[in-house]
Amino acid sequence: MNAPLAETRAQGIGVALPRKEDDRFMRGRGGYVGNIRMVGMVDVAFVRSPVAHGRIRAIEKPEGCEGAVYTLADLEGVQPIVANSGLAGFKCSAQPVLAGDKVRQVGEMIAMCVADNRAAAEDIAAQVFVDFDELPAVVDMLAARRAGSALVHEEWGDNVFLETFIDADLDDIRSKAAIKVSRKLRTARQSMAPMEGRGVVAHWDHRLGQLIVYTSAQMPHINRTGIAGCLGLDEGQVRVVAPDVGGGFGYKGILLPEEVCVAWLAIKLGRPVRWLEDRREQLTANANCREHDYDITAYADGDGRLLAVDCEATVDSGAYSSYPFSACLEAAQVGSILPGPYKMEKYRCRTWSVATNKPPILPYRGVARTGVCYAIETVMDAIAVQAGLEPWEVRMRNLVLPQEMPYDNITRKHFDSGDYPECLRRAVEAIALPAVRERQRRGEADGRRIGVGLAIFCEQGAHGTSVYHGWGIPMVPGREPVTLRLTPDGVLEIRAGVHSHGQGMETTLAQIAHEVLGIAIDKVRVLLGDTGITPYSTGTWGSRSIVMAGSAVGVACKELKARLIKIGAHLLKDEPAMVTWQAGAVVGPHGWKRIADIARTWYLQPQLLPADVDPRGLEVSTTYQARRDSGTFSYACHAVVVAVDTALGKVELLDYVVVEDGGVLINPLVVDGQVYGGAAQGIGTALYEEMRYSEDGQPLASTLADYILPGATEVPAIRIEHMETPAPYTEFGQKGIGESGAIGSPAAIANAVNDALRPLGVEINQLPITPRAIVEALAAASAASATQGRNA
Amino acid sequence: MNDKPTSPLALTVNGREVSAVVEPRTHLADFLREQQLLTGTNIGCEQGVCGACTVLVDGVPTRSCITWAVSCQGAEVRTIESFDEDETMAELRAAFTAEHALQCGYCTPGMLATARDIVTRLPQADEARIRLELSGNLCRCTGYVGLVRAIGRVLEARRQRNLVEA
Repeated sequence: MNAPLAETRAQGIGVALPRKEDDRFMRGRGGYVGNIRMVGMVDVAFVRSPVAHGRIRAIEKPEGCEGAVYTLADLEGVQPIVANSGLAGFKCSAQPVLAGDKVRQVGEMIAMCVADNRAAAEDIAAQVFVDFDELPAVVDMLAARRAGSALVHEEWGDNVFLETFIDADLDDIRSKAAIKVSRKLRTARQSMAPMEGRGVVAHWDHRLGQLIVYTSAQMPHINRTGIAGCLGLDEGQVRVVAPDVGGGFGYKGILLPEEVCVAWLAIKLGRPVRWLEDRREQLTANANCREHDYDITAYADGDGRLLAVDCEATVDSGAYSSYPFSACLEAAQVGSILPGPYKMEKYRCRTWSVATNKPPILPYRGVARTGVCYAIETVMDAIAVQAGLEPWEVRMRNLVLPQEMPYDNITRKHFDSGDYPECLRRAVEAIALPAVRERQRRGEADGRRIGVGLAIFCEQGAHGTSVYHGWGIPMVPGREPVTLRLTPDGVLEIRAGVHSHGQGMETTLAQIAHEVLGIAIDKVRVLLGDTGITPYSTGTWGSRSIVMAGSAVGVACKELKARLIKIGAHLLKDEPAMVTWQAGAVVGPHGWKRIADIARTWYLQPQLLPADVDPRGLEVSTTYQARRDSGTFSYACHAVVVAVDTALGKVELLDYVVVEDGGVLINPLVVDGQVYGGAAQGIGTALYEEMRYSEDGQPLASTLADYILPGATEVPAIRIEHMETPAPYTEFGQKGIGESGAIGSPAAIANAVNDALRPLGVEINQLPITPRAIVEALAAASAASATQGRNA
Repeated sequence: MNDKPTSPLALTVNGREVSAVVEPRTHLADFLREQQLLTGTNIGCEQGVCGACTVLVDGVPTRSCITWAVSCQGAEVRTIESFDEDETMAELRAAFTAEHALQCGYCTPGMLATARDIVTRLPQADEARIRLELSGNLCRCTGYVGLVRAIGRVLEARRQRNLVEA
């Protein structure tokens, strides 16, 4: 009788299980787009604009190669990419898949060249002659807002995609506030820089009458909708396959003009066409992220209790509105989440999404939360200084309390559960604050200055229909679908419309199936990324997949289990009430039937089935929506100790602690990996990464030697502590965690650096905090104090 | 467009003697991927920075994206595909998966090439040395935590075995 139990091991929720997907990657058998080889496949290289802003007077195809070069005029009937928001005042624009009469950014595609290989295609591209009338480039987002600026889209009359305003009367606050702090803060434009760039292979399948597009994408169903729309095909004629994806982080959550062009050419030529983004294209031509400017003021009472926050925030959205998230999501999100995990009486915020002659922006891991966390946490430290308190004390006085959960904050975000003060307390304890303060007092033998910094934040993830329909963008997430199917030998296939690009969902979704069914995870196959075999989903973004698809798998497995029990009991000649489900088998008083026994019966021995068997069989399609779709709120506190070399401007991270609450953890190994990786990206935001532009809109980083990503010597051995407050509205209590790591590190590190430099009268208010920024700020402070000394 | 100069090339790839004709401008990674169909060598930057395309040339970790194929005349090249039966790589694979040293997997072949070099060349490497040696391989997913631990785990196991054998 014990046989069914004996074959199971702990593989369910909460087990730090090594990943099923690792082996193929470690043997060089990953299935990335760039690894696809097809007979007759040709390569594409694009002619890209060398100017940031200009009118195209003429395009001349090279003599003898006219047939290998395509411009917009050749792409008859192809529609531009349009991603408008329904928010009041949003200014509409369209991005032609190849430039028409005008280019609006360096790197914008002007012509498509095709040849037997990429090098030969680039040879042709180099000979295409484009005659421009250059226009003044709009490069700085604040200058772009001023009257008289050159215009990215002339028909608008200004450069503002969207302005939002949350108003409040602050007069009484101003009169009663003992503390008022103001800061102007800036975060750099960044490149998400996954190790694998974008890539597309497309061909027309005559048997299926279908365009097959392999693309390195996070949201293949959305790409399918977009490609079909641009090419005037019905969606049944398009199948999008996102195979193994070499990192996403948001960069692959967009419909690319390259995808549309390559798909069109595959149909036109009747042969497979490939384009693989190289690093130069990725850095200089395609989407960026994160460029924010804040003019923020906070009011507090004498004890450091927040009274109000008043902010003007500007986001540089670049030249076009990217599909499907649009040009305004980032800035509008700033307005809605700037208050962070804190309570306050009043809140006022005006935001602008500004068009410039730079690549469009995409939501990068954390989206606006990273910039917002930097802004509000900088202000919290400023309040602490004025109130004469430790930074943690000010935060402790303003955090939402556990007994107030669930809590609707000032912008009506519904914080679902958790103990924010405990998270802060544990981070302060783990970083050993008194010892750090003592070390600061002692001083360093090498003259470096020690600083300690904190950042605490919450992350709305997996938010659904009720939140997103308000943005009015082309995509609103609904109920998350999943399909389960058993094979005759008892293998469970899970088909989900989300995708995995490092998150390990081939393992974690299988763990959820194991949790419900007791099926060994090597008998579970998770199928993702292919619109031909998975149900329609908005895909993987917004820290939603393990909440939405994971819950859907759980619900579907429960349904499947009920059907299996009914058949199993019949085969055992027992009433369903007499049997139990144990470790992947129906167990009765006299025997058991495993999943494979029941599956074989359904498919191959149907004469043994009960007469009233469920006609839907052993395939379950269902959808999931959280009991409340306002999102899960994971939260974390980052604490960091730095040593700053004031001569060289170098910052070393001496200790780094993350205390994180992601609700119930499905796989702690995977969660830790997400937190480590996110924090490392945040370290890049804090100290290294910036995509600078010249005054005429030329990108100044075109290689990974110019655009600095953190390496193994820049990222410390981060320590993670977990809290696990179950989410009240999700199937297993899990919360979205994927973006969290990247949110807190810039704020914590900036606060630590400024803590180190404060005795020198220096505060740095921009990211990244490069050695140059530190050295220049110290030099300016010392020059100012010298001037004061002379004047005294 | 097809009158590019070409050069004959003879080398050993994964133990197999290969003769080919390549353009002088073709780099080793493209040669391996496009002509030899060895797509396990991933291309990350073609600028010699990220290390994703690291292979062994005559036993030395080499960035195949900034190595001309024609410069490998007579060389022995080993790519990730040739390590299935390699004992050291098997140990590293077990440690990588146990320590969650990979997520998207794109940097992994290059990381393993470098990791194998570290554990064979620097048996006494400590964490700081591992990090230094890894500084030519970028990973955007893991924050390097699992990578450093995995390599340290293999080094420690090898040191323990050597003690036992001694």
